[in-house]
Amino acid sequence: MKKIVATVLLFTFSSSMFAADVITVKGSDTMVILAQRWAEMYMKMNPNVTIQVTGGGSGTGISALINGTTDICNASRPMKPTEKQKLKHRFSSLGVEIKTAKDGIAIYVNEKNPLKELTVQQIKDIYTGKITNWKEVGGIDSRIILYSRENNSGTYVYFKENVLDDEDYSPSCQNMPGTAALVNAISKDPNGVGYGGAAYAKGIREVAIKADANSPALLPIAENVKSGQYPITRFLFMYVKSKPSGAMKEYIDWILSEEGQNIVTKVGYFPLR
Amino acid sequence: MTLFIRFGIFATLLTLPLMSQEESADTAAVSVNEQIEQLKLNDESVNEILLDMKSYIDLARKLKFSGYMQTQFQASDGIGGAPYPIGNFAGGNFPANVGSRFQVRRGRLKVQYENDLTFSQYVVQFDITQNGLGIKDAYINIKDPWVRAWNMRMGVFDRPFGFEVAYSSNFRETPERSRMSQTLFPGERELGAMIEFAPEVGDWTNYNLKLGVFNGVLPTANENDNSKDIIGRVGFILPFEEENIAFDGGVSIYQGSVRSNSKFIYSFNDAQSQFTVDSTVTNAGKQYDRQYIGIDAQLIYDMPSLGGASLRCEYNFGTQPGTSSSNSFYNPSTIQTLDIAGNKTKSTIETTNLYQRHFYGLYISMLQNIGTKHQVVLRYDVLDPNSEIDGSEIGAAGKLTTLGDLKFSTIGAGYIYHLDDNVKFVFYYEKVENETVNGTVAATSSLSQYTKDVNDNVFTFRMQYRFPW
Repeated sequence: MKKIVATVLLFTFSSSMFAADVITVKGSDTMVILAQRWAEMYMKMNPNVTIQVTGGGSGTGISALINGTTDICNASRPMKPTEKQKLKHRFSSLGVEIKTAKDGIAIYVNEKNPLKELTVQQIKDIYTGKITNWKEVGGIDSRIILYSRENNSGTYVYFKENVLDDEDYSPSCQNMPGTAALVNAISKDPNGVGYGGAAYAKGIREVAIKADANSPALLPIAENVKSGQYPITRFLFMYVKSKPSGAMKEYIDWILSEEGQNIVTKVGYFPLR
Repeated sequence: MTLFIRFGIFATLLTLPLMSQEESADTAAVSVNEQIEQLKLNDESVNEILLDMKSYIDLARKLKFSGYMQTQFQASDGIGGAPYPIGNFAGGNFPANVGSRFQVRRGRLKVQYENDLTFSQYVVQFDITQNGLGIKDAYINIKDPWVRAWNMRMGVFDRPFGFEVAYSSNFRETPERSRMSQTLFPGERELGAMIEFAPEVGDWTNYNLKLGVFNGVLPTANENDNSKDIIGRVGFILPFEEENIAFDGGVSIYQGSVRSNSKFIYSFNDAQSQFTVDSTVTNAGKQYDRQYIGIDAQLIYDMPSLGGASLRCEYNFGTQPGTSSSNSFYNPSTIQTLDIAGNKTKSTIETTNLYQRHFYGLYISMLQNIGTKHQVVLRYDVLDPNSEIDGSEIGAAGKLTTLGDLKFSTIGAGYIYHLDDNVKFVFYYEKVENETVNGTVAATSSLSQYTKDVNDNVFTFRMQYRFPW
């Protein structure tokens, strides 16, 4: 009996020790490029640490955290109470939330679209199907083609809760598997509109956003996002099961350091400070 | 002239390649245009195919399949078929002459269809084991589309009482629920309707309420009286996220009744410390209380460098209508025809006389995660179905006590290894201790085995496989 207990304990602690230097990161597609840059840079400085980064969406990352198949979950939205409950059931843990960067959700249109600005209310009306023609918001007389993300995306959830006030997306929305696919579709569609992380706004044009009709129209640039003036500003999170320790703690501390935050700026997002 | 002709021939020779280049350029331009047109056509046809596929993908997203299977080997220090049951709260009685066995304890398949636009949900869950196919859940859930905090549910689903009843076997670290939960809520589920308040956003996210009306019989049994049972729980969650500690809890009530088939109603007289019998003819057909109150609490905390841990406890007490042989609730499964004196056939009456007992039960469990793959669990549970009498009095002459009055406590210890996100192994040993009865009990009484602690401890080795949940 003693031998069995000793073997089990040895196996327990040895497997925990071996797991420490391989860190798996999964989740938000919005954050995947940022996470890859962090991992590449960190592994260069710490060759004994291996960091494996994959996307899939915030919902997928959170499920992986609950299933125990990832060490770190990247999420562009906060965890929901039901998700925290599942984590509690499986690991007896609340999860630890770490704010890693700020992001302004940009509204993209095709380069040929002359529209310059939109209010948050207009964006809501467009995405809930109440406004269907560009001329209703000061644009050309043409039908609006809506592009959105899929519902496992944190950006999808954040946009729904914070811009659409939890109303439903119009059924005419075309859901794209990732921000890159969404940007690509809008770059080919003169009537298209979409949303996503500011770092992805390549090949299309960003529209300035007004909090309301009397507010200034602002673009998702560093100054506006960091100050919180840009109306659709959010945090980008990392979640871990319990208080990080060992190699994982060192990695997260580095992400929050000046060096890690410089990468945030290079990728096109906004540092915390 | 000759010179002119020569110049003409020379000029013609010079322009020939240029003409050829122009023709070739025209041809190439035509070809590129054709290819562009062809690509556009291809693009459109691909889009058509994608649109067609999208309808299937949308359907696949709404339709979800999940499930888990638990197969196990169990061994006991006793042999089934003894005058006392073995394993009746560890997966079912061991059959006669059996001290070890293999079982498919649970084989769940859940089918769920969710319509995001109407906030409705269809859920059906089957249980497939060596005993056949059974229905566990079958309900419709509708979420309010305005504040997204209220749910309405109707069908067969978990009774909203306490923590353990609704805590899925998929997650549970011990092989079975405590004796208390299995006794009070056999099968966990019930036919009824429920409203739930569980907001996902706003100031009330740390509070929840469930209140339901149920038939008050077994999970999928047909109603057998005209009275409905009310079950509800008010819960709270107190997270201290900085410290990674949470304190959850709730208060539950069960306000119900059962219809007696018999005119013989046994109730415990505390002053005389014995059962007294009321045999008024009109007792048959009357309703008798089934009332519980429960308190549950769960403390969740993080052990640095080790993993999450939790301490769970639940205490229930109340009035339970049982029978002489069982302290599980009295359930007249079929409506009996009574004779003019309120009697049924004699043999039936003996087994369905109603015993009203005041009970209490509790469990305390402690769980520690070690990394992400290992868990250890300890649990202690008690059920005293008749809290008004001590074991030493049970079986004594004139007390009219029965097997249904015996108190049991169980200490269990287990280790769980998660191979991956699908497979886990559970090793669990439970030591069951019974109250010892009065030594003067008649040798012919079914209580006579319980003058000492009987051999009914059980070891379980379980494998579980689950797929997306």
